[in-house]
Amino acid sequence: MGTYNVEIAINCIKIIVLFLIMVQLVPLLVWIERRGSAFIQHRFGPNRVGPLGLFQLLADAVKFLNKEEFVPEQANKKLFYLAPVIALIPAALAFLAIPLGTPFDVVIDEATQFSIPMQGAVIPMGILYILGVSSLAAYSLLIAGWSSANKYSLMGALRASAQMISYELAMGLAIIGVILVNGTFDLTEIIQQQEGPLSFVFRGQSYEVSFLPNWGIFYQPLGFILFLVAAFAESNRTPFDLPEAEAELVAGYHTEYSGFKMNLFYIGEYGHMMVASALLSIFYFGGYGTGIPGFGVAELGEYINQSLGPSQYNSLILSLVLFGISFIKIFFFLWIFIWVRWTLPRFRYDQLMDLGWKTLLPWSLVNIFISAIVVYVANV
Amino acid sequence: MLENIVFYGLEALVILSALAMISIRSPIYSALCLVMVMVGVAGIFVTLNAYFLAAVQLIVYAGAVTVLFVMVVMMIDLKKNGRSFSKGLLGNSLKAFSVGLIWSLIATSVIYVFSDIGRGDLPKISEGTFQMKELAAHLFTKYIFGFEAICILLLLVIVGTVALSRAKGGTHVRND
Repeated sequence: MGTYNVEIAINCIKIIVLFLIMVQLVPLLVWIERRGSAFIQHRFGPNRVGPLGLFQLLADAVKFLNKEEFVPEQANKKLFYLAPVIALIPAALAFLAIPLGTPFDVVIDEATQFSIPMQGAVIPMGILYILGVSSLAAYSLLIAGWSSANKYSLMGALRASAQMISYELAMGLAIIGVILVNGTFDLTEIIQQQEGPLSFVFRGQSYEVSFLPNWGIFYQPLGFILFLVAAFAESNRTPFDLPEAEAELVAGYHTEYSGFKMNLFYIGEYGHMMVASALLSIFYFGGYGTGIPGFGVAELGEYINQSLGPSQYNSLILSLVLFGISFIKIFFFLWIFIWVRWTLPRFRYDQLMDLGWKTLLPWSLVNIFISAIVVYVANV
Repeated sequence: MLENIVFYGLEALVILSALAMISIRSPIYSALCLVMVMVGVAGIFVTLNAYFLAAVQLIVYAGAVTVLFVMVVMMIDLKKNGRSFSKGLLGNSLKAFSVGLIWSLIATSVIYVFSDIGRGDLPKISEGTFQMKELAAHLFTKYIFGFEAICILLLLVIVGTVALSRAKGGTHVRND
């Protein structure tokens, strides 16, 4: 956490702020989702409360808080209350490990200087940590579905756990391709390797394409598609929303939940979407990197130094600009999540399992095989 | 100081959840306590800088194996299950005997493993991605036979499960 008291305090506040950013983005995303779905379906969407209907979310939040606390008579009360809380934890923990910008320097006086990383916690092997933590998300759905004492909820919970275990495999194997190409488990190092123009060394000869950024998608196009599909399934979004399929299971695992408890499930789902979007941008689109060959993070820092003059706040400004860039990329993928939800219909259950085990798994193995051979041949 | 607090906190979590797991009657709570044990053990691995083992512990045991346990437990009629515990002197003494046997086996293997290790000259665990490279090198050179043997065993189990589920009805039964 740090050696100075100020440093520890800043780090603690930063963790809270990042968590609040994650939670406070949810109402905004719900608004984008409702307005976006209305746009896609040629409707208006919520447009009465406040400018562009933005205050609708505030009204909804108040409504959520004022609803009756309801627990079904046959339900297991302890687990029924526990499940929505667990829903929030994996997404929040995973989001804190994502690097959102370069570290910024804090100068108190000559003796006390330190740099604060622009992420909740610097974790070595961040990829493994995020995979490990988000694999615990299945418990919240399972516990919610079982403790409700409702057949539809239990069916939803069973579907959810089977789906998450099946697609975690394809997701992990798609990530192995990224690790093979980058040779590291550190998210920050992966971002740093994607700086500059597209360039690689093949059998001692170096090649460079000066007009393209050095992004992972040019090395792992198949891996990107596999990871995208698996990420949709992992966050239970349409076309993989079988755990809560309204037409078959009422609302699946959260049928019996209302008010703020249901809201917590929503926050968890959107949190998973944010983590998946951030990982997509880091693995395949350069994370907080600018994506302009010849004007990377270092050049941007130089530009800020030249135009503002040397000052101790320059690293903070650079860090905030990069924070903005990484959030632009994250929002782009969040919009794809929403776009797909209102465009594609839901899979049938056997189609879901066939896609997971007979299509994604073999293709991700092929991806690893080809990547490994190419990486080996290139470095011989 | 801080490391000690974290370490003893995790130890307490693991031991208390393990005790709760074997003493609670309801299978669903005991499965959830098992999850807590797994998460606590992963935390202990992190304090020892063994990040890869911690992640595998979370992904494989807490995230997949125990999810399946919980899923199966949820399909059982728990009230009926509670009555099916056997009672009586003979049954109880058999249980106590088998628990003692298992415990002594575990204790013996732990003592056997630690008797090999000299005090103070343990190799230091390497940092970052290099840790995985070292582990992989060991796994695919020195311990390749055991590794492959376990792979074949798991493959046999999978093929056997598929064969059984196809033979006796179910969703994937063959229609010819």
